Amino acid sequence: MTRDWWKHLVLILGAIIVLAPFYMMVSYSFKSPGEIDRGEGGFFGRQEQMIDPRCIALRQPGRADIEAARTRFLGQDDASVQASLLAETEAACSMRPVVFNYSKAFTEAPLVRYLLNGVAVTLSIFLIQSVVALPAAYALAKLNFWGRDAVFGLVLFCLLIPVHAIALPLYIGLAKLGLTNTYAALVVPWTISVFGIFLMRQFFMTVPDDLIDAARMDGMSELTIVWRVMLPTAIPALLAFAIFSVVAHWNDYFWPRIVVTGNRDLFTPPLGLREFKGDGDGSFFGPMMATATVIVTPLIVAFLLAQRRFIEGITLSGMK
Amino acid sequence: MVVLESSVAADVTKPKTDNRPARAGWGLVAPALALMVLILLIPIIVAGVLSFTNYSLGNAGFDWIGLKNYERLFTRSTYEKMFVATFTYVVTVVPISVGLGLGAALLVHSLGRIGDIYKTIYFLPVMATLLAMAIAWEFMLHPTIGMVNRTLEMACGTWFEVIPFFAGGCADGFPLWLGDRDYAIWVVCFIGIWQGFGFNMVLFLAGLTSVHRELYHAAEMDGARSGWERFWLVTWPALGPTTVFVVTISCIRAFQVFDTIEAFWPQGGGPNKSAYVMMFAIFEKGIQQNLIGIGSAITMLFLLFVMFLTLIQRWLVERKVHY
Repeated sequence: MTRDWWKHLVLILGAIIVLAPFYMMVSYSFKSPGEIDRGEGGFFGRQEQMIDPRCIALRQPGRADIEAARTRFLGQDDASVQASLLAETEAACSMRPVVFNYSKAFTEAPLVRYLLNGVAVTLSIFLIQSVVALPAAYALAKLNFWGRDAVFGLVLFCLLIPVHAIALPLYIGLAKLGLTNTYAALVVPWTISVFGIFLMRQFFMTVPDDLIDAARMDGMSELTIVWRVMLPTAIPALLAFAIFSVVAHWNDYFWPRIVVTGNRDLFTPPLGLREFKGDGDGSFFGPMMATATVIVTPLIVAFLLAQRRFIEGITLSGMK
Repeated sequence: MVVLESSVAADVTKPKTDNRPARAGWGLVAPALALMVLILLIPIIVAGVLSFTNYSLGNAGFDWIGLKNYERLFTRSTYEKMFVATFTYVVTVVPISVGLGLGAALLVHSLGRIGDIYKTIYFLPVMATLLAMAIAWEFMLHPTIGMVNRTLEMACGTWFEVIPFFAGGCADGFPLWLGDRDYAIWVVCFIGIWQGFGFNMVLFLAGLTSVHRELYHAAEMDGARSGWERFWLVTWPALGPTTVFVVTISCIRAFQVFDTIEAFWPQGGGPNKSAYVMMFAIFEKGIQQNLIGIGSAITMLFLLFVMFLTLIQRWLVERKVHY
């Protein structure tokens, strides 16, 4: 242990740099704008009551409000009625910074909708990828047919192509079909995962032939074999692929940025955050960091809960 | 029961020569094949063809302009900056993130179970949405209220001022980082390394666990006494295939850098275009400015680089003896 102290020192220094932006992101999401500006308050901030200036501006008591409130403040002149009304709005508009930041994150932009979009898009991508890749992987691994080697060669070639690199022609194609700014545009280019085919094929190669022959004897069609015999054996590999796919697409920013322009209903979480940054002024650091925290948290928590599986899934590409 | 039946089944099915597997095989492969052609191959051909035209979305037709787009790529100063920024990024990020990944893996591996906590921490940036983290870094690097410059300012008035960087910073203010054209691309490189080295570390760790213990004993028998010697004799050669793979995948990822650049400078790719990388150029020219021809030409060059790299990797791996 004492011999290893320098290793710990180096690794701890590295850990501080790695964690610094996470620390700052979460800390800012707790603090009031003033504390952020002055750089005080430690990690949680002092959590003093603060007044939301926009809320005050929106609820400025007008002539009509004063008239309406006159019955409540009997025998007072207009100025004092207005003053008491102002005090009321201030009381209603004041809150703890952490509440302010997180409530703003969800009310300034439809963050829940963005998160649901993210879930819908990542899950549909994964489902379609599996439905397309599993039968193909099975055929390439276990069926002898003319042209199989050519198809597998094509799979190996396509592994070379990063989909992001051909974004421009894909975008032109989708634009010609009138599909930009639709859910389809977010999903379609990812429906084929050559990597998924390759991975599942390698896995299926290890499944004993006897199992398949037995299923054939039972009169199963090849497609039924894929879902009833091969799929259950492939659950661990498929889970790893799921993690790989979901992480990549939840975090993807480039593709949604290209095919979704303006239509907020289709925004994925990273796009929502980007828009927040675009129109935020200085006082919105807190809510913005709250949004960022909300977006980053699901995957981080899942990762911390199932570390081994996640590391396997993400480094799957190392098996090539 | 399955086992009993299957031995019989194997005998029964062997001699049959019907073409059921053939038809079924094509049937099962067909959807994947169609999508591969439609989504991966045709777009490459389309980009190749369009790179010789002046096509724009919305125009009815286009003119063939030969190699003009490519000529522009190699003569205009904007694109020179694009190549410089891209290669600076790749050449900086790949060796450093691979080196740090290897170093971290060796340290973590030698610590045993306690090392796992560092593994978890270093892997966090790989999982986190890069765009969100880019924005967090942007705040960290804010010239006046950012954590980085605040920390640096704490060094003012101490012996740190002996270092010219601190002396200058305390006198005239610390760098603007993202707004300074001398620093911008390096900051982007730093974030690329920050995000990527944990991934490389995990790949190296997987490689390290597969190195046989006996090899180290054998090396010791042969007189490799220091840890350093053992590293060069055993660990490094055993990690060969892993290293080739890690370098290639880091290169491909580095070529695709986009999120950080777009988050920091939505217009123009950095101060004086110092961080105008290829993916950003494709996005700006091809999609925002609707100059499809030039965008396609950049796409083709990009594909060429990436495919070339992967082919080198495959060649290296196949040539390599297995230890």
